[in-house]
Order: sequence, then structure tokens, then C-alpha cells
Amino acid sequence: MKFIPAAVAAIVVAILPFFLSGYHEGLAVYVAIYFVAILGLNILTGYTGQISIGHGGFMAIGGYTTALLSHYEHWNLILTLPASLGITFLVGILVGIPALRLSGVYLALATFGFAVSVPQLPLKFSKFLGGSNGIHADHSVTHLWLYVVSWSCAGIAFVLAWLLLRGRTGRAFRAVRDSEVAAASSGVALPIYKTLAFGVSGAFAGVAGSVLVLATNGFAQPSEFGVLVSLQILIGAAVAGLGSLWGVVVGGVFIGLLPSVSASVPLIGSSHGQDVVFGLIVILVMLLLPNGVAGLLRRFEPLVKTAIKPDR
Amino acid sequence: MGMKGRLLAVLAGVAIVAGIAVTAAFGAHKSDPGISASTITIGGTFPLTGPASLYKTIPAAEKAYFDYINDHGGINGRKIDFKIVDDAYDPSKTVPLTQQLVEQDKVFAVYGSLGTAPNLAIWDYLNQKKVPHVLLATGDSYWGFSAKKYPYTIGFQPDYPGETKIYGQYINANLKGAKIGVLYQNDSYGKNYYAGLRVGLGTNKSSIVSAQPYDLSAGNVTQQILALKASGADTLVILATPTPTIQALVTSTKVGWTPANVFINNVSAVGTFIKLAAANGAKVDGAISAGAYVDASVPAETNWPGVKLAKQIVAQYAPSLDVTNSLTIYGLANAWTMAYGLKNAGKTPTRAGLMKALHNLDPKKAKNPFLFPGVKLQTGLHDNFPLEQEVLIRWGGGATGYWTPFGTLYSKIR
Amino acid sequence: MTAFAQRLGSMRKNAVGTGASVPVVLFLIAAAAFLVIGSLVSNIFAQQTVAGLAQGAIFGSLALALVLIYRATEVINFAQGEMAMATTYIAYQLTLWGLSYWLAFFLTLPIAFLLGMAVQVVLIRPVQQSIIAVVIITVGMFILIDGLVTWIWGADLKFMKAPFGNTVYHAGGVAFSRQDIGVLAVSVFSVILLWLLFQFTKVGLAMRAAALRPAAASLVGVRVNWMLAMGWGLASVLGAVAGLMTEPTQFLQPTMMQAILLYAFAAAVLGGLESPAGAVVGGLSLGVFLNLIGQYIGFATPELRLPIAFAVLLLVLLVKPTGLFGRKQVRRV
Repeated sequence: MKFIPAAVAAIVVAILPFFLSGYHEGLAVYVAIYFVAILGLNILTGYTGQISIGHGGFMAIGGYTTALLSHYEHWNLILTLPASLGITFLVGILVGIPALRLSGVYLALATFGFAVSVPQLPLKFSKFLGGSNGIHADHSVTHLWLYVVSWSCAGIAFVLAWLLLRGRTGRAFRAVRDSEVAAASSGVALPIYKTLAFGVSGAFAGVAGSVLVLATNGFAQPSEFGVLVSLQILIGAAVAGLGSLWGVVVGGVFIGLLPSVSASVPLIGSSHGQDVVFGLIVILVMLLLPNGVAGLLRRFEPLVKTAIKPDR
Repeated sequence: MGMKGRLLAVLAGVAIVAGIAVTAAFGAHKSDPGISASTITIGGTFPLTGPASLYKTIPAAEKAYFDYINDHGGINGRKIDFKIVDDAYDPSKTVPLTQQLVEQDKVFAVYGSLGTAPNLAIWDYLNQKKVPHVLLATGDSYWGFSAKKYPYTIGFQPDYPGETKIYGQYINANLKGAKIGVLYQNDSYGKNYYAGLRVGLGTNKSSIVSAQPYDLSAGNVTQQILALKASGADTLVILATPTPTIQALVTSTKVGWTPANVFINNVSAVGTFIKLAAANGAKVDGAISAGAYVDASVPAETNWPGVKLAKQIVAQYAPSLDVTNSLTIYGLANAWTMAYGLKNAGKTPTRAGLMKALHNLDPKKAKNPFLFPGVKLQTGLHDNFPLEQEVLIRWGGGATGYWTPFGTLYSKIR
Repeated sequence: MTAFAQRLGSMRKNAVGTGASVPVVLFLIAAAAFLVIGSLVSNIFAQQTVAGLAQGAIFGSLALALVLIYRATEVINFAQGEMAMATTYIAYQLTLWGLSYWLAFFLTLPIAFLLGMAVQVVLIRPVQQSIIAVVIITVGMFILIDGLVTWIWGADLKFMKAPFGNTVYHAGGVAFSRQDIGVLAVSVFSVILLWLLFQFTKVGLAMRAAALRPAAASLVGVRVNWMLAMGWGLASVLGAVAGLMTEPTQFLQPTMMQAILLYAFAAAVLGGLESPAGAVVGGLSLGVFLNLIGQYIGFATPELRLPIAFAVLLLVLLVKPTGLFGRKQVRRV
């Protein structure tokens, strides 16, 4: 019973390429990218209660890892993905350690500082990191390749997250979120689980960044990872709502597609319509769903349960 | 449904898609994408929003020129449909938008896309797809140097290092003993310019007493201007984007520094900006820059055919544009070149034909009225830089002034 | 009424005071002494310090606006910079309609106040229970305001009349522009006014009460919701001042406040988010610090300005997790 939605989703993803044009496949890739990144943020914030506005920074590191390994070492692009996963996991742990001392808004702003600082580094170390013009993977890929890889990443990430969160680790995470004091007194090693969550979360964002770079024809450039990326992930996570894996799907679709949807809304005589529409929709969605899709699902949960099991 | 199943399904999809593609390829091949009996569809990405959006004048002027062409018989009877899309100067947006232009809107060519980083991001893609990627609005040297590897890409304007090379040569010839202070943006744009200046100065490089980079995220250049002042420089070379350029001019007066000579790179030497800087107290008279185009604000040029045509087109097709803005003229000059290329791309234009036309610009035939007299539009077998000449210009008249060309034309700046 | 006053009086003890500890104060005094001595020794040091103070005053005003909002709603307002930018455009529009600079300046402030209040009432109040929803709405406003301003006024550079003229004074080998001095004066003056309002007026007291102890405040008859809205209004006014004081150096552009907002974040956190004095001190020190290291430390190239600002922030937070001027607080989680 539990697996039906997942199976349906997997089938839809697998047969979509038959119906999509190359361009729309490209759009679907962005949905997958944001899905993975938002999933990462959701693990951190939704399950351990640590807020980060710094996930654009992890994406940048992941993206540059892919571009650098391909550019200098000519790695197979697929192999750069686990490499970027590993590196951003370590960076996540490194960020997570000072984060132990911080909480709430202070943590949010410190991570935001991380996000705005990382894209400055390629400018500083321009010989190796390519400066403002970025660094180029040694070859680029087709829409279909990207589609398959990005959605495979999304599927793997989803399963990994599900396995992680349903087991002991997930229970520990939730205990940390609900009450640190209670979690600590019941034997959960707080520092370990909190930094671990940062590592996992960063690693997901890192892989998303790698795929984003591949989707940008293999170019990693500082301007791809501006402040807006981190904010978009945050928006997506909020639309998803905290602590629901299914909400993340909606969040990914929302952030992956909204820019191109709002760009296609005609606003008379204005090319700035897209920002206006984008901003308005974000505000409206938050006014209507302050707890995101997860909140909505929770509200309908009793209904659904009675519908599925009418005899109970 | 496991991973394997999904992979299989996708693989099956690949087979089907490939089959369809092959069938299509062997089917009746009439003309290249974007060409119909009555239209030629082209498109490009431009920063209509965001920090670089002041350049949106360029596509607006280009559109005006195409509208003018369309009302005068079009390109061998076909009208140009120019799609302008907004990438806000963000390469991660440039890529999907360009893919949309190519795959969804089926443009014949990607034309005029603005900015070095955005163009680098679509460079490979367009060449793989053999889609013309032409007359880019960036002065980087990549485009001209890499024509062998990227035969579908060609730039337009004189490249950045070439321009600063002229300043270096001018300083060597006319400003002996100058102590040079350089302000440059800390990206490839600024660094390219700076490298060209050092080449132009040659052995006289040591006359650069201080070179201060700035980062756009700082918001202003006060710290750098103070450092330049302290270095004792008497010649300020500004290699910046427009806002920091104005800031530099205004700030240097404010901190009590009036260098004897000021050079301003062409991109930022738009008359409107210089006037505004002057109105805010900057001393701009005597400042030197370089250009390759006619200038509608110079009284002596009023009766030149290019200026007259520009005024006519702007008045009729884009009255909201300012014809004295050098970006407007730049757009017209660039669009003229595109129309010329299309006209010479065959009766029914082909992509290969367009590239051939643009790679073989003959200055005797390609007489672009919007270029400064004597500046040649020329490419050939070993030359993929369409414009390689510039004339120095000097500002006079303060807040109501304009640039006046002086001296001879500098050739072979590349 | 007396009960009201008494209760608020007891609250005052709690809320007032900078919250700075002795080591922090000593450190700041030492830093100030260093700046004075350095300025006497070297001209360029003095110039960089003055320019840093002028820039820091703007960081400080915007940081103060962030602090006001944080105290009212416990969120960081991502749209603070864009609200400041939009109100600056309103002032610009007023000058286009023929008003003098200073008339436009003073007319813009009440407009900014009303706009700020309107934002709180229409967009923030309905979801103020969910901190994340409020933050995301401010992000949405950021994008929306940016789009609207670009739509209405365009993205090209605009200029207003120089409010302080272009005069430059020389003292020794050091040049002071009237503009820098003016910017500094206006920013400091508006901060002092705000402090007076909070400290010595009944409205100010009620606003503080509403922010710090909403339940208790409403018990004694403070209209908490309106006080919170006024907090947003005042923050918007401070933002307008910051925007208008930024215009002379950075000119009008939709992106003019985006970098400044990042530094204001850093300044506000440095000072401790709850502390108005901390925000101002944080802003000023950040402005001076960044200019001086840019001048004297070779490695600190301009691209590292932001990373360095945030590295300083992180260092301070690791030593004092609630900022320089923050009090140790137990908050509901």
C-alpha cells in the first residue's frame, strides 16, 4: 500500500521522456535538481530543526567539483557525482561543527554568509577556479542524458532519505528537533547527529549543484550560484513544508518550473513581469499555505486514512 | 518499479526518439529552421532586468533596425522576427532560454546575445547543434581566436585588450612621465582590459604606480580611489562597468583628487553617464576614451548619413530610445551587420551561408553607415574580428558636453 | 493607569541598556583609540577611516531597521533593502514632480512609515505564527519589489540632486567631503531620534513592551498588533533614510541596496540582533574595518570583502553566540 505513490511517481518519471520535447526535458531536469536540493534542506531543517540559508554554497562547491574534475582530470561525468557527494558531505560536516554553537536566526544568517562567500572564491583564486568566466567540464551532454541522470539522482536521493529517516537516525533527528534537552537526556549524541544532518544535507545540495552545472552545458560560473539560488531552495522548502518527503516533490516542481511559467505570463509592455509574477505567487502561496504542502497533507491525512480504510 | 525498469523504459524511449530523428533527417529537407516563405526568426538573450539591465537599449535599437528593414522590403522579401529574451546576465538562465530559442522557437540563428559569461555557457551547445551564434555583444577575445574550433561563433566589436592597447600607446607618445593609476573590475572583463594596457605601454609598464581592483559586491569604489590618490598617480585609467565608473569619477573629486589625465573604457564612456558624473561634481573635461561608431551628440557629425539614418529610425521605430546614447548606435551598427549577413546568406538563407557571409566580410561591400568613417567591417580566412579599428575621443563641455574624435584612426589594434 | 506605568517601568529595566559587557566596551574603546592614533599618523589611514565611517553609517541604519523588525516579529526581513530602495525611488519621483530634495526627503519618511505598516498588516500579520512563512514572504517581497521598481522606473542609473553639495574640505592632507559628513550626520541623528522615541515616549515604551512581552502588554492595554505594525513602519522609515543616504554615492538603481543588505545582516548580527546600539556600532566598525584591511592587507583583495565580513561575524558568534551586545537569553524554541 505504502509503495503505491512511489511506484506511480517512478512510472510517470520513466515514461515522461516519450511525451516531452527536448526543451521540456530540460525543464524537468531543473525540477529534479531543485527536488534534490530541497530534499537536502528538508532533512536538515525539517528533521533536526537547524535552519540554513546556505545551501547555494553547497551547490556551488558540488558544481565546481564536477567541473574541475572533468576539466583538469577528465573524469567521467557520472563519476564526478559521487565525488561531489563526498566532498560536500565533508564540507557539510565542517559547516555543521561551528553551527553547533548557533541556533535560530543566528545560524540562518551565518549559513547565509557561507552562501554569499563561496561564489567569491573563484574570483580570488581565478588561476585554478577560472575567475568570473568559470570553469568548463571537458564535454557537454544531451537533454535525455541529463534527464535520466538527474531523475536517477532524485530517485536515489529520495530512497536514501527515506531509509535514513525511517530508521534509528531519523528517530534521533526528530528527537533533536522536538526537544534538544529531552533528546540529549535520552541518550542521543546531539553533536554527532546535528553535524551528521549538516553533512547529509550539504551532500544532497552538492549533487544538485553538480547536475545544475551539467545542465548549464558543463559550465561552473560564480554567477550561477548567486544569493537567489539559496533563497529559491528556501522558498521550495517552505512550499514543501517541513518534515514531509512528498511535500518536497511539490516544492521541487514549484521552484523548478515557476521561473519559466512566470516568464510566460504576459504582462503588458513589460519584461519585468516575470519578477512581479514570481514574487506575487510566492507571497500568495505562503499566505494560503503557511505550513506548506506538508501542512496541507497533514490536514487531509485523517480524511485519506478513513477513505482508504473505511472499516476502521 | 525499480531503477532497472525505469532505465529500460528510458532506453526504449531513446530508441524511439532516435528512430523518429533518423526518419526526419531523411525526409524532405526544405530549408534550415527559422526560415519560412515570409520570415526569418532569430533571437538572443539580453539582461533586461538585474544589474546589467542598462544594456537593454542594445536589443531595443536592434529591433528598431530590423523593423526598419522589414518596412523596406525585408531580407529578400522575408521579414526578420527578432525574439528578445531576458537572462538577467545569469548564465544558468542563458542556457535554458537559448535552448528554448533553438528547440522550441526554432530560431535560425542566435544573434547578439550579451555578455561574456552568458555566451561562454552556450558556446559549445550552439556549435554542436550547428546553430549560428553571431555578433555577440561582448568584447572578449575568445570569439575571434577560436573560430577554428567554434566555426558557428563570431563576435562583433573591437576587443577589450585592443582598446586599452591604444591608451598605452597614446600615453607613451603623448604623456611622458605620467604616473598611472588603474582602477579595474576584478573579473575577466577588467583583467583583459588591464592586460591590454600593459601590452600597449610596453617597456613603460613601470609607469603604473598602482592598480586597484574592485569587486561589484562592495557597492562603491571609494576605498580604491583613496588608495590611488595616496599612490601619487596623476593619470587615472578606469576599466570598469558604468556604475563604478561614474562612482570613480565623482568620488575622486570628493576626496580632493584631480588627476591630470583620465581614461575611460569605451563600454562605460556612454555620454549620458559622463554628463551625470559631471552634474555630480566630477571633473570630466579632457577625459579620453575610444570608439568605432558615429555619435549623434557630436555637432560636427550631424549631417553624416549614419547619424541621419539613426535619427530617422529611432524617431520612427523606437521613439523611447535616445539616439545620442552610444548603446543605441551600437545596436544599430550591430543589426546592420546582421541584416547584411542575412542578405548574403543565400536566396533562401542557410545557416552555413550566414556563417560564410560573416566570415568573409569585405569592407568594400559591407559599408556600415553607423561606423566611424574609415573603420572597416572586415573578416577573412585568418581574421575573425569584424571590427579592429578605433578612434580616440575626448570629452568637452562638462555636464552638457559630448565626445569629440581626435587624432588618426588606430588600426590593427588586435 | 498607574499600574500600567508601573508595569512598563519594570519592563524598562529589562529592555533598556545596551547589553554590552565590560570586555566588549573596553575592546571598543581600544579600537577607537587605535583609529584616532592611526589617523593622526597617516593621511591615507584617516581618509579610509572617514570613508569607512560614512559607509558604515549606512550599514548601521539598515542594520538598525533589521533589528527593529527582529524585535517586533522575530524574523529577518529579506526585503528590508528593497523596501529602502523603493522608498528612495519614491523620493526621486517627488523631486521629478518639482519638490526640492529636502522636501522630498521629509515627505518620503511618512510615506515609508505607512508602507511599512501596510506590509505588516496585509502580508505579515496573517501568518506571523509561522516564522518560516514570514521569512519566505519577505523573500517574495524582495523579488516583487525589485520587479515592480524596474517596471515603473527602469533599471538604468538615475540621479538625484546632491543633497549636501559637492564641497570638499581639507584638514591637513586629509580631504573631507561635505557629503560624507552629511551622510554620517543624518544617519547618526536618525538613530538618536529613534532612541529618544523608544526611551522617553509612551508610544516607544508601548512598542517595546509589545515586542518583548506581548501577552503582558496586551493585559495592560497596549494594542500589541498596532505596536508591531508601527515597528515595521519605523523600520521602513530608517530604511528610507539609509536608501536616501546611499543614493549620493551609489546612485539610484534597483540593485543599489542588495550588497548593503548583506553587510547590514552582518552588522546586525555582530551587534546582537536585539540591540539597536549594537547594530549601529556593528555597522560603523564593519565599514571602517573593511576599508582598512583593504588598504593595508594584501591578501584581503576586494573579492574577499564579503567573505571577510562574514568570517568576522562567525568568529564573534563563536565567542559570543548572541553577538557583541546581545544578552544571554532563553527563548522559546
